[in-house]
Amino acid sequence: MAEASYTVASDSETIGEDKSSAFPEIAIGIDIGTSQCSVAVWNGSEVELLKNTRNQKIMRSYVTFKDDTPSGGVSSQLSQEHDLLSGATIFNMKRLIGRVDTDPVVHSSKNLPFLVQTLDIGVRPFIAALVNNMWRSTTPEEVLAIFLVELRVMAEAQLKRPIRNVVLTVPVSFSRFQLTRIERACAMAGLHVLRLMPEPTAVALLYGQQQQQSSHDNMGSGSEKIALIFNMGAGYCDVAVTATAGGVSQIKALAGSTIGGEDLLQNMMHYLLPESQTLFKTHGIKEIKSMALLRVATEDAIHRLSSQISVQIDLDLGDGLKINKVINRDEFEEVNRKVFVKCESLIIQCLQDAKVEVEDVNDVIVVGGCSYIPKVKNLVASMFNGKELYNGVNPLEAAVRGAAVEGAVASGINDPFGNLDLLTIQATPLAIGIRADGNNFVPVIPRNTTMPARRDLVFTTCHDNQTEALIIVYEGEEKKAEENHLLGYFKVVGIPEAPKGVPEINVCMDIDAANVLRVLVGVVMPGSRQPTIPIMEVRMPTVDDGHGWCVEALNRKCGNTQDLVTVQKKV
Amino acid sequence: MAGTLNLPIPAVSSVRSFSSSNGAPTSSVKFLPHQCRASMQSFATETRSAAVASRRPASLYEVLQVSQNASPREIKSAYRSLAKIYHPDSAPHRSESEDDQDFIEIHNAYATLSDPSARAIYDLSLMAVRGRRPQMSLSAIQNSTSGFYTTRRWETDQCW
Repeated sequence: MAEASYTVASDSETIGEDKSSAFPEIAIGIDIGTSQCSVAVWNGSEVELLKNTRNQKIMRSYVTFKDDTPSGGVSSQLSQEHDLLSGATIFNMKRLIGRVDTDPVVHSSKNLPFLVQTLDIGVRPFIAALVNNMWRSTTPEEVLAIFLVELRVMAEAQLKRPIRNVVLTVPVSFSRFQLTRIERACAMAGLHVLRLMPEPTAVALLYGQQQQQSSHDNMGSGSEKIALIFNMGAGYCDVAVTATAGGVSQIKALAGSTIGGEDLLQNMMHYLLPESQTLFKTHGIKEIKSMALLRVATEDAIHRLSSQISVQIDLDLGDGLKINKVINRDEFEEVNRKVFVKCESLIIQCLQDAKVEVEDVNDVIVVGGCSYIPKVKNLVASMFNGKELYNGVNPLEAAVRGAAVEGAVASGINDPFGNLDLLTIQATPLAIGIRADGNNFVPVIPRNTTMPARRDLVFTTCHDNQTEALIIVYEGEEKKAEENHLLGYFKVVGIPEAPKGVPEINVCMDIDAANVLRVLVGVVMPGSRQPTIPIMEVRMPTVDDGHGWCVEALNRKCGNTQDLVTVQKKV
Repeated sequence: MAGTLNLPIPAVSSVRSFSSSNGAPTSSVKFLPHQCRASMQSFATETRSAAVASRRPASLYEVLQVSQNASPREIKSAYRSLAKIYHPDSAPHRSESEDDQDFIEIHNAYATLSDPSARAIYDLSLMAVRGRRPQMSLSAIQNSTSGFYTTRRWETDQCW
């Protein structure tokens, strides 16, 4: 391109990098977990995890607010215990990002040792750290951005080059709105997101690379291998089924839920001190200290239960509140029975969606912080008839290593040995559709559709002479529209007056390989091939903060006057 | 199903050509404005979508570049090797001049042909179409399926 051109990036886009340099910049892989984070990069021949100044590869994901300068767990050598007790440390933000204050996950975060306040109206929760006896407000995006900056500084110091492009791993159950909030946090940290990868698909990519390498080594036939990946961290549990051969990994199905180590911890805290919710409600300095003490002790007990059969807990929470208890592993497993049942159901659902039988699975890969819990390993293994779990990956490093490989692949790096000759064919983790047929959610793109994807569905008016139609786009699996994640809404106007059921309103959804969703709506009258009004194209999600209000407001304003119904299939 | 055929959104070809000519699908930014325009244009221009349709391969087997009696294994490996070429993530490694085959199309073909029952029904529909041509002999199978899939357009293939 000889002549200079000036372009304005679309408002809904993040700014892309100009790839003009001769040497492509290798994007780094970042895993920002609920409790831990790490960075890895393809160093030309293999993946290398970067260490901080304290020689740690895995760092805690928290930010401590002190006076004016917040500092994260990456760089600072802080007495974490002390700051945690004082209410100045904010963590678990990956559980809260992009959620409104009516979300049960936000409510369960209210006993964290800092302030999480809800008004229960569908706006973002108020989050604050206690600094010098003052509540300093913050947001999940800001907290994530602070340690993303620290990770970036750390990587730039070691790689001796500016870092801009990143591949991040995200939970499967994240809505597209939550993904935009992660992108926002990255933008705040000066990072450009090349790809957001569902965590188990990053592991799948790593597995695909390993399979390709081993088939090179022994000149194997390179036949297809199917793996189930179970990833359970502090905040989320994800499952994926992948089929890999010749470096091409096809994600056959994904399943995920907001359950993780945090739930195990909450359940245990509740078990040890059932009245904790009411005791700590006021969030005074004393209460925060007690909450933090209870939290640290319980977390430690759960960790020890991974190697011991029972642990003794002796805890003085102040004000004469003491806990002296012996907890054994059976008790722990019973208290958290529901969590483990949910894990099983995710695996079953994922296998069913992938149309894969237990016997067809060649490898079972269990990763994430919770994979150290004996019960988790056992429950997964027992679902596969006691099959030995795959031991080719480090449970805590697999996701970030996969992200680093994707970073190299997506940056267009070539490897002379073909180690980057890889491709991941992704699938949509959640269905995307619109509200129609009353208050139902009608998926246009079902979950586990291969990406890029393009599907359309025809709807029609439900009133005579209806000239306007409201398109409300949701993402999720629930039958009732409002129980899903709202992505956006817009109105189609100028539908020709006609009896109900006559105009054909074609809703097309398009997801490209970069996971960008566009919704196109066209109106056609019978007998014509031409759309009667200009087609509308909307890039989703369009919703912003506080979107919990929106649907209620729309209902109040429009009632059902602009509703749609699906066109019955003519058999 | 009948309804979905009316607006096939011929963005199929336009999306592809733009993403490949840019050669950088990883930065989603660049081709968005073009794409909206292109998809609307092609929507409006019947002639263009007709031209696209005429270039379409005759059968799903042709899409995957395999023979009609290919084994499931052959179909699988054909899909993977085509994915390596035509998946938008692989596009940077590919020259622009190549034919603009769409990965979604390839995947749809694979989805049908890799499912034994869907493949059987599709094979029947193929025979039905050929059966109606005078030079082809009518088979017993064709009789049993007449009225099931009387016509076969690319849109019907997309609906699997």
